[in-house]
Amino acid sequence: MTNVATPDAYANLPETNPLGFPLDWSWLRGSKSEWGVQPKPSSRGLTMMDIAVGAYGEVPDEPPRRTMAPRGCDIEDPTPDMGYILNKKSQVWSDNVRELYEEAVARQWSATRDIPWGELQELPDDVEHAICQLCTFLSEVEMIAADLPAKWMWRMNHDFLEAKMFLCTQIMDEARHSEVFRKRALANGGGLLKSKAAGTELLRSILQAKTYTQASSLMHLLGEGFVLDIFRMGELISPTDVEKRIFRMAMQDEARHVAYGTLHLRYAVEHDPDVAEEIHEALDHGEMVLMEVGTQPDLTTALATLLAGGVENIETEGFPLQSQLSVKLLTSYLARCERAGLNRVQRTLLPLDLLGIDPDTFTPAA
Amino acid sequence: MTATDTRLEVDRIRFFEALADEMNADPTRFEVLGDVDMSIALVMRRPTGDAFRAQLVFDGIRCDGVDEIGEGDERQAHCWLEGDLADWQAMFANIVENGRAVGRQTINSLTLVGDRITVHGADPLGVDRFFRYNQTVQALLDGAAAVAAAPG
Ligand SMILES: [Fe+2]
Ligand SMILES: [Fe+2]
Repeated sequence: MTNVATPDAYANLPETNPLGFPLDWSWLRGSKSEWGVQPKPSSRGLTMMDIAVGAYGEVPDEPPRRTMAPRGCDIEDPTPDMGYILNKKSQVWSDNVRELYEEAVARQWSATRDIPWGELQELPDDVEHAICQLCTFLSEVEMIAADLPAKWMWRMNHDFLEAKMFLCTQIMDEARHSEVFRKRALANGGGLLKSKAAGTELLRSILQAKTYTQASSLMHLLGEGFVLDIFRMGELISPTDVEKRIFRMAMQDEARHVAYGTLHLRYAVEHDPDVAEEIHEALDHGEMVLMEVGTQPDLTTALATLLAGGVENIETEGFPLQSQLSVKLLTSYLARCERAGLNRVQRTLLPLDLLGIDPDTFTPAA
Repeated sequence: MTATDTRLEVDRIRFFEALADEMNADPTRFEVLGDVDMSIALVMRRPTGDAFRAQLVFDGIRCDGVDEIGEGDERQAHCWLEGDLADWQAMFANIVENGRAVGRQTINSLTLVGDRITVHGADPLGVDRFFRYNQTVQALLDGAAAVAAAPG
């Protein structure tokens, strides 16, 4: 880049337009922008990681302004205050957020086109009911993970753009999840079945959390960790390749959301240790509500029916496999908490003894 | 090709090099699955008491790093999959027989039940990578069907 703008360059440009209105050439004559800083594309193209260089690449811990002006540009002062309330990086950031955004963009899929809907087949009545009940539950809970980021995004300082961009991808993912489970419930003639109050109660707790970080702990770490494990189970509970494909695709999306939440909470706790207690309080309550949702008799019977391939073998196959998977689910959740820097093992009221989970198997939070 | 076919020597690095070649030769298939940024190790415990260990490094829609690694080196990867050689052979036999893994022989099912092949990571986020890129890993493993069918 050799064409460096200097204050006396372009000296002879007109000062007014043909109607006599004044013209502004300051952008051309040399602003404070970093002329010459030139990110290089990587093998995958020009990624968000590649362009994070120069002043743009530095994400301030506490941005001096609350403006939508792009980070790294030459900002006219005074500039309007957008009224952001999340003005500390630790309140929204995670160290993997750029990578996760790129990954989300690269791994989008279509609930219309990428699911082999034509291969749906008539299923035994109990199995069709069970998959429809599960899909009714999932179609309901999925959208909270779109509503929640949407509630907080416009309050996040625009200097944390990458976090907002990642949350935009999450909103798109959740719309697709809600879509695909609704489509499955309807597509084979079973339809949408029961919505129970406990599920809605959990959603309300998440939406009404007082801070974004509390909300993120309830949603990204606890709620989506739970949903991720249901999606993983998809391989075992799916009656046909149609449902298998749905769960496999949704699983990949969900794991991104959990990965953001885990590292966001870690970043928050590392940079503001006082926030740990706030998160613990949210999880104390959230774990109890989640237990209520996870053990609600309609969801557990539907899942166990699918695991057993029908109601006939529910006691011999369904319930035992379900208990085994519940242990895995809670073990992964507690391991993620430790990774996030939150020692839940000593604090949780979840019945670890009853489930046979040994607290000593977890690496203590750093 | 049958489930008992013995032509596939899965505990050899050249087998994994062939799987990587299959992946790298089919960008159209892997492009729709999306980019991957992950190192993953596979540990196959032989009846003789030793184990074969391979590490695969994915970048974008390619698998460019295929290496045999030593004992304990799997912990350096984002995650690793571990099981008896016989269980790995059964998984690959299922792939060869059906053209892709079916039923409980998909890598996600196997690791979910966890009684034969298990997923581990020194960091839970490493394990989550296995879920994030799961369908790409499955597609790479499904390449065994083409490797088995290849001449020689
Ligand atoms: Fe979701
Ligand atoms: Fe999600």
